[in-house]
Amino acid sequence: MKSLRWKETLQQLFFVANGSGFIVVFCVCFAAMVTILEASFHMKMVIQNDSMVPGFAALLILKELGAVVTALLLTSRVGAGIAAEVGLMKVTEQIDALRMLGIEPVRYLVLPRLVACVIGAVLLTLIANMVCLICAMLVSDLMLGYSPAMFLSSMRIFVKFQDLLLAAVKGAFFGAVIPLVACHFGFRCRPGAEGVGSATTQSVVVASILIIVLDFVLSYTFSYL
Amino acid sequence: MIEYRGLVKRFGDRTVLKGLNLRISEGEIVFVLGTSGTGKSVLLKNTVGLLRPDEGEIWIDGREVSRLSEEEYLGVRRICGMVFQHPALFDSLSVYENVAFGLRRHDRLPEELIRQKVAEALALVHLPGVEERRPAQLSYGMQKRVSLARTLALEPKILLFDEPTTALDPITTTAVNNLIQELSRRLRTTSIVVSHDMICALGIADRIVVLDQGNIVAQGTPREIRGSEVPLVQDFLAEVPA
Ligand SMILES: Nc1ncnc2c1ncn2[C@@H]1O[C@H](COP(=O)(O)OP(=O)(O)O)[C@@H](O)[C@H]1O
Ligand SMILES: [Mg+2]
Repeated sequence: MKSLRWKETLQQLFFVANGSGFIVVFCVCFAAMVTILEASFHMKMVIQNDSMVPGFAALLILKELGAVVTALLLTSRVGAGIAAEVGLMKVTEQIDALRMLGIEPVRYLVLPRLVACVIGAVLLTLIANMVCLICAMLVSDLMLGYSPAMFLSSMRIFVKFQDLLLAAVKGAFFGAVIPLVACHFGFRCRPGAEGVGSATTQSVVVASILIIVLDFVLSYTFSYL
Repeated sequence: MIEYRGLVKRFGDRTVLKGLNLRISEGEIVFVLGTSGTGKSVLLKNTVGLLRPDEGEIWIDGREVSRLSEEEYLGVRRICGMVFQHPALFDSLSVYENVAFGLRRHDRLPEELIRQKVAEALALVHLPGVEERRPAQLSYGMQKRVSLARTLALEPKILLFDEPTTALDPITTTAVNNLIQELSRRLRTTSIVVSHDMICALGIADRIVVLDQGNIVAQGTPREIRGSEVPLVQDFLAEVPA
């Protein structure tokens, strides 16, 4: 596996995971709070009872929120970064220079980023899910009056181990989409600063759409497995 | 040595090179002049297979190369060094690693020899002692010279220069031009130099080719070019002191 370039892969992984960890955790906490408070508010209004809220929130977090919020944040941070970096390499003829010196630029640039993003996205998705659940648990304890024990037992009714697996699988798929789309637009970058800018924008837009669509496809497929 | 026959290159519905014919002999220094966007860089990139022509043939060292696969092209790229318009240095590597890059990839030399060749190449471009710096720490002119050293380190038989002296100061410009001339004399390197600079071209070219909108509108020795009636050539000559 010499072609993988371990050092570069690890650097990229550090950029993905360490650099994005804080934002992901921060945003996902707020997403959890909103989810659980809104759900409780409406449940109480409609059926005067919010006892199903903790379990339901946990389900939503594990199946959707954790993975999707993480992926969208990674798209705007890591995806944009990769698109701009590769685009600039294209514009400043570094990619041509690689080919002149006998390097296959696609493998040289894409592979380390792909591996790093898949590993990074799975790790971050799992961390985000844990943090999100803990946050939801705290909110239900402090604001809705469900103790952590009640939260967990309510969660057990709704959530299975497979759901965690689904979250990891989603993380892996989203993690692959981000660098592939970013590199696609980077390699096709038109000359000039404007070219780099539009490659970056396009890559964020397209990756975000793909992630949302892929999320639907994966959820749908998994519910029939 | 290098021959283009009926070279056509299109991008979408735009034809950039329109059936170009040109023959360059060994050891010759050919300057290709033309305004921006006429396809000078496209011509060089077709030569080394970074772009592929839509029609026509490219002969290098008695071989038609334009339809070679990417792997087969490696041999051509080994003998054809290209100095890009941008410095095109790898930002994440030191100057030493940049210059050594091609030596490691193409030739798999022992480290001792690589070190020696890197030092020689940097000395050629008058940049000793910058090995450990990063490209971003160097001025633009120095980056362009490192880029030149990276190509020269491989000792190519054919050198393609894409605006080697654009945006360089006059002293470095003279040094680079002298270097091109010296390599051609000493090692019989064949050079194609893409440039805007008629003064340099008249000074060191064996032949000058003027390109306009994908066609050759004039070519000849510096003396012949000086006497040319072609309007574009006259425009280029207007900047030359009499
Ligand atoms: N990869 C490419 N894709 C599309 N158009 C290109 C590409 N490379 C060059 N062109 C177009 O071909 C024309 C000639 O470009 P170029 O050879 O770079 O000009 P110059 O003579 O200034 O070096 C320009 O109009 C440019 O827009
Ligand atoms: Mg050019």
